Amino acid sequence: MKHYIISIFTIIFLSGCNEDKSNEVNLYSQRHYKVDEIQYKKFTELTGIKVNWIKSNADELIERLKNEGKKSPADIFISVDAGKLQKAASLNLLQRLPSEIKTENIQNQLLDINNFWAPITYRSRILVYSNERVNKSDLNTYESLADEKWKNRILVRSSSNAYNQALMASIIANNGIEKARNWSEGIVANLARNPKGNDRDQVKAIYSGLGDVAIVNSYYIGLLLSSEKEEERKAGESVSVFFPNQEENQRGTHVNISGVAITKNSPNKENAVMLINYLLSEDAQKTYVNNSYEYSVNKNVKPSKIVQDWGEFKIDNLDLNSLGVYREDAVNVFDETGWK
Amino acid sequence: MKISGKLIMYVIIVMVIAPIFSLIFYSNPNSINVIFEKKNIFFESSFNTIYLLSITVISSLVLGLIPSWFVSLYKFRFRNIIDFLMYLPLAIPTYIMAFSYGEILSYTGPFQSFLRNNLDFLAPFFNIDFLTLEVLGIILGLSLFPYVYAASRISFTLVGKSFLNLSKTLGNNWVDTFLKVVIPLSAPAIISAIFLVSMEVLNEYGAVKYFGVNTFTTEIFKTWYALSDETTAAGLSIFLLTIVFVLFSVEYVYNSKLKFNYKLNTDLNYIDHKQKTSLLPYIFSFFPIFFGFVIPLSFIIYNVIDNFKIIDFNDLSSFTFNSVFLSFTSSFFIIIFLLLVLFIDNEYKSKISKTLSAVTSLGYALPGAVLGLSLIIFSRFIGDNLISYSLTGTYFLLFYALFIRFMAVGRSPLKSSIDKIPITLFDTAKNLGLGSFDLLKKIYIPLNKFALFSAFMLCFIDIMKELPITLILRPFNFDTLSTKTYELAVEEMVDISSFYSLVIIIICSLTLYFVKKINTN
Repeated sequence: MKHYIISIFTIIFLSGCNEDKSNEVNLYSQRHYKVDEIQYKKFTELTGIKVNWIKSNADELIERLKNEGKKSPADIFISVDAGKLQKAASLNLLQRLPSEIKTENIQNQLLDINNFWAPITYRSRILVYSNERVNKSDLNTYESLADEKWKNRILVRSSSNAYNQALMASIIANNGIEKARNWSEGIVANLARNPKGNDRDQVKAIYSGLGDVAIVNSYYIGLLLSSEKEEERKAGESVSVFFPNQEENQRGTHVNISGVAITKNSPNKENAVMLINYLLSEDAQKTYVNNSYEYSVNKNVKPSKIVQDWGEFKIDNLDLNSLGVYREDAVNVFDETGWK
Repeated sequence: MKISGKLIMYVIIVMVIAPIFSLIFYSNPNSINVIFEKKNIFFESSFNTIYLLSITVISSLVLGLIPSWFVSLYKFRFRNIIDFLMYLPLAIPTYIMAFSYGEILSYTGPFQSFLRNNLDFLAPFFNIDFLTLEVLGIILGLSLFPYVYAASRISFTLVGKSFLNLSKTLGNNWVDTFLKVVIPLSAPAIISAIFLVSMEVLNEYGAVKYFGVNTFTTEIFKTWYALSDETTAAGLSIFLLTIVFVLFSVEYVYNSKLKFNYKLNTDLNYIDHKQKTSLLPYIFSFFPIFFGFVIPLSFIIYNVIDNFKIIDFNDLSSFTFNSVFLSFTSSFFIIIFLLLVLFIDNEYKSKISKTLSAVTSLGYALPGAVLGLSLIIFSRFIGDNLISYSLTGTYFLLFYALFIRFMAVGRSPLKSSIDKIPITLFDTAKNLGLGSFDLLKKIYIPLNKFALFSAFMLCFIDIMKELPITLILRPFNFDTLSTKTYELAVEEMVDISSFYSLVIIIICSLTLYFVKKINTN
């Protein structure tokens, strides 16, 4: 027992001491998919640089970065939301990306105009509709979901969800806060039930007949369609995907990126640059789309088969930093209009 | 008491309080104004919190107390097995319980699918929205009733047969005996358990979010994260802490007034239960065990079988090692520390030892994630002033946080057990010339063996399932079974996460079995 106690104490205290850290790179990441582990493993095999990670909620990681200050061991911050990258940048936790970062193959509208972060994948927030009860021609824009004809037919998860906050921020950025408020009121009036559950639950609710149209991330439709469970696949097959705001004079479908940034006090900046370049390479981009239902930011890399079947679509050209800038307004609009 | 002893106690009090109170320095006095500005939202979330608390507490009392009474005082077939099974829902993390029931009851889940395929006429009646506050309260009750069961089980056993015989002589039937004798005598333990259940509900974040219920805790996080208003969020946390502290003080005052002299004869002659009521123990223990353990476990096993081919056993063994290492080590130190604190408090009964004993519960009054954040803020202060590297990301900070948070879990059973030892026994021991160390070794440890193990077990299991603190304070490359389960569950891959939750359940169940075996020997 004595030995156990002594060794525990040794571990606890040694864990704070500095080792040789020149050949590694430290990530604070909100992403925690199997595909990320595959990427880091490949990177280590290629370069010999060890990748260390801490995975948590973006806001918690930002809080950690903020409080660690100059002593932070983190080199890279990764988030699945451009808004959080903007938040980190505005708190002065990030540095501008150096010119060595290779972004020439990335679609322009996904890049950060301030050059604090680079996108590595993206997802769209789309509509899915019941194959039985909805005609595709009835659907048009996010805005049109507030029309009275959708009364008791709309399904969406709660406003505490980051994807919904990002969507609302994009609507405020595009249409102004007044119109966004009216839109939110319209959606709340049309809801088939109080917002709850996750994205897949909204699809299941369509399958069960509870509602007809849901706002969800494309990613989760992929998950449902490839589920091991027959009932879940059936739920996925009972709906079709619709990309809103696609007509010529319309702005395009709302998307959000997963992005990487180098922290202000990165102790292993060179390694960080190498890792980011690796993640942006065509090889790594192919790994992303082959192992998840995300879109590649590289113009030359096509998404997985399931995702390709939904067709191509026009992306909303909005500066993605707006998703962070208008986040507070978005939450306030949700609160004011009773979107739970 | 020696000066050095006092000094150590002061240091410990500061160590427990300082991180929590760093929130005060961080908070904004304007928080109150924000509450007034958004009073509708805060009114709704406070109402939801109280409503959810009530449902959870009531259901955990109903599910826990009655079986506990039967098992503690009656003899019936399979009694030992039932006693063991009643603890098992503790092995399932609350958010896993909530996510599992969410899936089980959903339209594509096994329950409704079965009805559609076999009993079509019934299906429409159950095609309803199960993601409601009331259902969540019951699910949380199913997950948390073992706290009530564990606390009351010790207490009921200690009540002793003489009280029961007395009650019988007075002509009370079993219902009256239960309500008028057993429950009042066990009030301190039951109130402590209610306190624990309530704290778990306030700590809950993942499950309430999934069910779309806005509670005070979700408001704190919305303010902190989405509105980026850390100072107001800190203010709200302090507000929550104050309320909890008031409740805690009420519990404390109430319980210290109730001091019973139990007969130390724990060697009960169990009452034979062969008359007309003989089915009751089975009926009352069936519901909590079946819905609190069998159903969610079956769902998880079903998912594991479905996804067996994608399991990575290397990952699994390293996550398992991390989980066990973290839980075992922190629980071990917590129990040793608690034993000393309670021993000192019981022996010296000084103001400072009382304070110390009381602050050990404080960490439980904050949601785990808020406590984690307060430690990050606190470690900035330490980092700025005292040491050259960042404290966050060290095992030290992680253990420190778990320590503060889970002392209350171990304290509850340990304290109610120590309180029940007649004071005369200590006096006799001292008159016989036993020194402090001998007193601890020969009286406290053996007499509280049962409670020490229960306390260790509850801590171990709670830390095994613990999520927010580990998530936010963990060192590099440190995944536990629960962080992995959660990561997959929030990404809507509950079925794949099932494998990790199954290992949590197995380890916790084995711990429970092991402890039970030691206690019966």
